[in-house]
Amino acid sequence: MNIHEYQAKKLLKQFKIKTPKGRIAYTQNEALSVAQKISDKGPWVLKAQIQAGARAKGHFLEKEAQNVSGVEVVKKLKDIPLIASQMLGHTLVTDQTQPQGKLVSKIYVEEFTSSVRSFYLSFVINRIQACITLLVANLTDNILDLAQKKPESILRLNFDLNQKITSQDIQQILSFLDLPQTSLAKLKIFVQNLYHAFLELDATMLEINPVGLLKDDSFVALDAKISFDDNALFRHPDVVQMHDDYEASENVLKAAKCGFKYREFEDGNIGLIVNGDGLALAVHDYLKQKQAKAACYLNIKGGVDEDKIAQSLKIMMTNPKVEGIIINILGGFLRCNLVADGIISAVSEIGLNIPLVARFEGTNKEAAKEILSGHHFPFLTADSLQEATLKLLEAMKEND
Amino acid sequence: MSILVNKNTRVLIQGITGLQASFHTKRMMSMGTNVVAGVSTHSAGEYHLGVPIFSNVKEAVKQTKANASLLFVPAKSVKPAIEEALQAGIKLIVSIAYGVPILDVLEIHKMIKAHDAVLIGPNTPGIITPSEACLGVFPENIHQKGHIGIVSRSSTLTYEAVLETNRAGLGQSTVIGIGDDMIAGSHFDKVLELFHQDIETKAIILIGALGGAYEEKAAAYYGTIKNKKPLIAYITGFEDFGDDMGYASDIITHGKVTIQDKKRIFKDAGALVIDSIDDLHETLKYIK
Repeated sequence: MNIHEYQAKKLLKQFKIKTPKGRIAYTQNEALSVAQKISDKGPWVLKAQIQAGARAKGHFLEKEAQNVSGVEVVKKLKDIPLIASQMLGHTLVTDQTQPQGKLVSKIYVEEFTSSVRSFYLSFVINRIQACITLLVANLTDNILDLAQKKPESILRLNFDLNQKITSQDIQQILSFLDLPQTSLAKLKIFVQNLYHAFLELDATMLEINPVGLLKDDSFVALDAKISFDDNALFRHPDVVQMHDDYEASENVLKAAKCGFKYREFEDGNIGLIVNGDGLALAVHDYLKQKQAKAACYLNIKGGVDEDKIAQSLKIMMTNPKVEGIIINILGGFLRCNLVADGIISAVSEIGLNIPLVARFEGTNKEAAKEILSGHHFPFLTADSLQEATLKLLEAMKEND
Repeated sequence: MSILVNKNTRVLIQGITGLQASFHTKRMMSMGTNVVAGVSTHSAGEYHLGVPIFSNVKEAVKQTKANASLLFVPAKSVKPAIEEALQAGIKLIVSIAYGVPILDVLEIHKMIKAHDAVLIGPNTPGIITPSEACLGVFPENIHQKGHIGIVSRSSTLTYEAVLETNRAGLGQSTVIGIGDDMIAGSHFDKVLELFHQDIETKAIILIGALGGAYEEKAAAYYGTIKNKKPLIAYITGFEDFGDDMGYASDIITHGKVTIQDKKRIFKDAGALVIDSIDDLHETLKYIK
């Protein structure tokens, strides 16, 4: 699970990590009034709150917002409403979003912090070495480019669980970044507090890009990104509360309510219903070879409730982009006949005017096929993913 | 022959009395698995599905000489359950549950290393040597004894690959799901090494995914082997919707990694790289 910058900063404060004074605003008037409360003289920083990075280099899709990026420094108070209005309600596209971008529904207004130096710092789960890695680098235009071409310009320190960050580690960071020796003690506290936050919050990634060094040798988190381990959210009800429904589409939320995963692709016209991402991937890749494309997929893994299966099927059947559906189910603990019952129940309610091919394998597959063939709707069935795909493409051609 | 499990594997099941565990234990036994003991704090001294139940792993191992453990315990209990199995001397552990917290997994890794044991999972269908031993939740009646070793991150793609090897008349030596969590107990390269030591395995299918770098590590290892067995690599994933925020995970892998990147390194290492499960059919003909 991801959260917004303003939420991450609020959490970090609880771990004694310094962040600039700031407040959230949902309208341009609110932006103005919170700016006044934060500081009586500027400049201020207006930051679009979307769950993706590279906002300062991003751009808005709408014509009326072409002059701003996702992060703007504003010197005069009277300019705040206009700039806020250009961000709010508009779609921000950055290197880290999909090309269709993300809608900005709130902005974070902060006091401008003038730092002496700034640098990149993050903690992340290292999947290969099964440890926690601290990454540190001087700021550059493109840190990924650096990671690829000059890996030695990024400092990596690996930490075992239960292993403390020592003064030697901090000295290494300080020397690597060429920070003033006078800042050593405060750097130690800053890095240790971040590490403490990372562990306590069950984070998988905690990124401060950038960290600012102030004149008084203290460090401040000018930005903050936190990703949480979904498997450990049960330990953090306060974090779960921070989940922003608006980051996902309505259909994704509807499916999530049934306990299922639903995702939409950028284009394509075929819906996939599966019980396991692998089954969707198998069809997705085969479709590509046949010059066809998936529009969306629904994963009903773990489904044992016919009603919920029917509910979620309706999400896909009412998606106007979907012109044909492939159901690829491999029954194990989930019995195929239950899915067939769910299909009948959904179709009985909303009808079926597009081709639908079902491929069942595993537990109760014959029973499932019987349920579908015993019905007056023109369901097609298949015994392999290839057969299912080819049958659907054929039927879609005829349906045209 | 096979790898890691065979008809001599004496299987212990931790959490045997649960609903899912009972369902799958019955199936595992019908597939020929030698289930010798179960552990459950509530029913110790009784029999469940004809299997004696013990209150702890140590006692079960002492009484039945179990040498592999399959965990059907909830995600939150996986860490203590693995610790208990390791302390009782078990060297092969299969953990099915999904949802184990990452920080737990980091600790589990340290314990597994310290005990020089093998962990399959978490979040895996398990491991199966057809007609000999199944430690996991594989579908019934789809596996056939044979010569292809299969190792995969995705569980459901494993089954598609199994069906294709059946269609080609080659069957499987051993099938392993390493799991699709952030951190897997066993990595691809280790499994490749084991398949190369196994006489029965004539060729290997590896199904990788986006995220992490287990594929890169496996390709690097494969590139160095002198007497290579044919390796068919299928790498897949949805590139359209990565949920990763920030740069950190891409910095770890020295830049953003695409499916094409992962395919290329396998090609460079001498593997046969396919673009869909359907390609397996033609590629397996070549292996015959």
